[in-house]
Order: sequence, then C-alpha cells, then structure tokens
Amino acid sequence: MNCERITLGSNDAHQLGAKWLTVMENSQLIGLTRQMALRRKMDVIANNLANINTSGYKSDNLLFKEFIMPVAKMNDFRYSDRKLSYVQDDIIAKEFKPGGIIETGNPVNAAINDTSSFFVIDSPNGERYTRNGQFEINSQGQLVTTEGYAVQGMDGPLNFTLEDTGIHISRDGLITSDRGEIGRLKVVTFDNLGALKKEGNSLFIGDNPIPVDDADILGGRIEQSNVSGVVEISRMIEVSRAYESLANALKATNDLRTNAIDTLGKLQA
Amino acid sequence: MRALHIAATGMLAQERNVEVTSNNIANMRTTGFKKQRAQFQDLLYQDLRRVGSNTSTSGTQVPVGVQIGSGVRLAATTRIMSQGELEGTDKELDVAINGEGYFQITLPDGRTAYTRDGSFELDSAGQLVTADGYIVQPGITFPDDTSDITVSSDGEVQVTIGDETTTTTLGQFTLARFVNKAGLEPMGENLFLETPSSGAPQVAVPNDEGYGSLLQGYLEAANVNSVTEISDLIAAQRAYEMNSRVIQAADDMLSATSQLT
Repeated sequence: MNCERITLGSNDAHQLGAKWLTVMENSQLIGLTRQMALRRKMDVIANNLANINTSGYKSDNLLFKEFIMPVAKMNDFRYSDRKLSYVQDDIIAKEFKPGGIIETGNPVNAAINDTSSFFVIDSPNGERYTRNGQFEINSQGQLVTTEGYAVQGMDGPLNFTLEDTGIHISRDGLITSDRGEIGRLKVVTFDNLGALKKEGNSLFIGDNPIPVDDADILGGRIEQSNVSGVVEISRMIEVSRAYESLANALKATNDLRTNAIDTLGKLQA
Repeated sequence: MRALHIAATGMLAQERNVEVTSNNIANMRTTGFKKQRAQFQDLLYQDLRRVGSNTSTSGTQVPVGVQIGSGVRLAATTRIMSQGELEGTDKELDVAINGEGYFQITLPDGRTAYTRDGSFELDSAGQLVTADGYIVQPGITFPDDTSDITVSSDGEVQVTIGDETTTTTLGQFTLARFVNKAGLEPMGENLFLETPSSGAPQVAVPNDEGYGSLLQGYLEAANVNSVTEISDLIAAQRAYEMNSRVIQAADDMLSATSQLT
C-alpha cells in the first residue's frame, strides 16, 4: 500500500483510515473464528479427560482446516495475501489405538485384542457396536450390557441357565460352561472406522458391518479407555495458551482501532 | 464453554470411583464381602457437522463429522462375584460355601435375605442364627446337650446328643442360586435381597449340580485384592486431578475473554 504523506483531517486521510479499519475488522473476525474453534477443542479435550476411566472409550481429537472466505478480500494487499482465511473445525479424528486390558474377575466380561473390531449390541434404536465388554447376565439368563441391551452371538442371543457354572470365553470368542457350548460372540469391523458415530453409553453407530471370523477375544477382561492423560493435558495447555495469545492479539487490534479513530477523528485546526 | 460442565461430570464420576474403591478397601476383612467396580459410560454427543451430510450438489459427503461429547456418567457399580479365599477358623459353626450359592436367612420382618457369610452362632433357644441373631433357613435347632457338630460337604448337620454313641442328623443346609447374582440388592450386614433383575431364587441342597459344597470350620474372606484396589485409587485420584486442571484451563480462557474491553 502506498503511504504518501497525507494531511490529517483531509478527505484522503478519511478514506485511508476507513480502509485500515476494515483490515483490522477482518483480523478481529479471523481471530474470533480461531477462538471459537479453540473453545470447541477444549470441550473435546474435557470430554476425553472425563472419560479417562470409561472402559472401551476411544479418544477424540478435533482437527481444523483453513476456510477461505469466498466474499471477503483485501485488494490492498499483495496478490497472494488477498484472500482471507478463517479457521473452521472440520473433523473429529477418533483414535482407535487399543486401551490397556485389565482383569475384572467377571467371567462374562470380554475384551477384543485388536484395534478395529466391535461387539454387536441389540439396542432399542437398532444394532449398535461397542468395545466395552462389561457384560452381565440378566434375570432371563441372557448376556446383556450394563444398560440391559442384548449382546449378539453368531447364532442369535446368548442364553445361560442356572446349571451353567465354570463359564469361560475362549480366544476365538466361544463361550462355554461345564455343560457345554453356549454360543459365540459376534464380532464385526468396518471399512472406514472414522465414519462411526458415537452415541454415548459406549456405543457406536455404523453402516455395513463386516463380520470378523478370526477375532482375538480375551475373556474375563475388559479394555480400558485409550485416553492418555499426558497427551490431553499438553493439548489442553496448548489450547489455553493459544486462546490467551489470541485474546491479547484481539485486544491489541482493538487498541489500534481506538487509537486510529481517535487520531483520524481529530480535526486539524 | 461446555468444557467446564464436562470436566465437572468427570470429577463427579471419579469421586464416585474413589467412594466405591474405599468401600472395597474398608471391607477387605469382611467375611463374604464381594468387591464392587464402578463402570463408566460416555454421555450423549452433539453433532456439529453431521457425518454423511452433503458437501456439494454433486453428491460429495462429509466422510467424518464433528461430534462433541458431553462428559461421563457412572453407569453401574457391578459386584464381582468371584470366590473369595477360604480361611480356616477352627470354629465348628463356621461354614463356607465353596462354589455357587447363598445361605438363606429369615429377616425379623419375615423376608428372606441371602448371604455368603457363614459365621453362624446358636441363640438361647439353640437355633442356628447369624451374627445378628437372624434365623438361618431351613431352621436347625440344637438340643441342649449336643457335642461334636459336623457339617458335611452336602450340608447335613450331624451331632452327638448326650452320651449316645450314634450321631443324629438335625437337618440339612440349603443353598439358593440366582440367574443374575450381580443383580442382588445389598442391604448391608453382609446380606442381599432378591430383585426383579436377579430373578427368583432356585433352592437346592449343596453339591447338587451347579451348587457349591460346604466346608465346616472355614469362612470365605472378601475377594478384595489390595494391590488392584490401591492402583484403582491412584488412577481415580489422578483422573480427578486432570479434570480439575481442565476446569482451571477453561476458567483461564473465559477470563481472557472477559478481560477484552
């Protein structure tokens, strides 16, 4: 931008001043989009940390992308800088790395020893998928989740009777008792794990499940949350520092505006 | 700023976790105690950018959306019903169950409660009762001059009365089983009550198919493992601290905004 000497209070000065005010306005708006995105990132981090002891929980990470504002342009800048880019939160990347596996002492609990397979649950809203193997036996003898939703077996529901003692889940998901076979846990996987939606209650919603025949299942154990406290806390510090420095930048721009309005508004005597 | 509320649900959940763990530790030496585990679940999610929504008129779709969760909740405190260790007491009225089943106890109000605590006593009328004086079903009364009480592994109680040379059978213990024993309702005093989710009790004598056997002179210790409890406690405490850090950070962010003037 050409900066010739312009007399304060002249017509030229007013036009130039207005132009600079628009620049500042844009920078404030850009800063605000970043702040809004950071707040949401903070919400995601808070949710991960809240679920650090939730078995079968998979951590989320909010990723951002540049959003080029189609209408706003600053034609006074160099050509490459004319487009204004805002920040937009784009996708939630779910991390499917495995959580730690712990023994619970409950023989009907199960954990899947891989990163991409899920148990199949009959929920009232349809078929759901979970990595949370904290199963129970209900009063009808059926294998259910903590919510009381039935766990699907390869050949229908898994039913126990009173005579079933010494329940054991083998590595291939076969549930046996002293009386014999009870059934086999149904395990599925998906082409695109990222497209799975979380429903809450440790359940995922997904389309086109692919059955897994050679699942590696650990009975009597459950998978813990895969949230890593260190990673989340450092992300949190990053977010809160970025947020504060943006707040400072916004304040600086605001001061600049106040100064500009003050100075340009003065009539030269 | 939802982070504040989300972290608050996290702190609340971990507080409950510490409560459950401390109850386990407090009952480490309680006969027949079964430890509990706090189970957590994530709360509902809000779609900010719905997966599968159209991104253009030519049919391209959002492959992975933006979903923000709203925290955690305590879903259940499951009781782990594994067998506790059997400890010898040399007391002839101590009976432990090795395997499945519960002793049935008649409560003062007439209801039946269930327990794994077999530390029985005799009351003034010679009846077999629990440490709280509640009658053990099916009701075994010992005559005054009994000696040499034996309880067989299938629950038969035999005594020698007076100077007799033969033993007399006074009765037989029965055990109750439930389809969902984790669904029993604890009422304190080592007793459990039947609930709709536990199912109705199925009563049989010990050593029947699926039922445990009895062991005289032994008691079942709590199935609490001190090492796992302490490590659970540490994990819960750290998780609590991390959630409180989130509240702090969220607060800092809010104050940075409020100082913009």
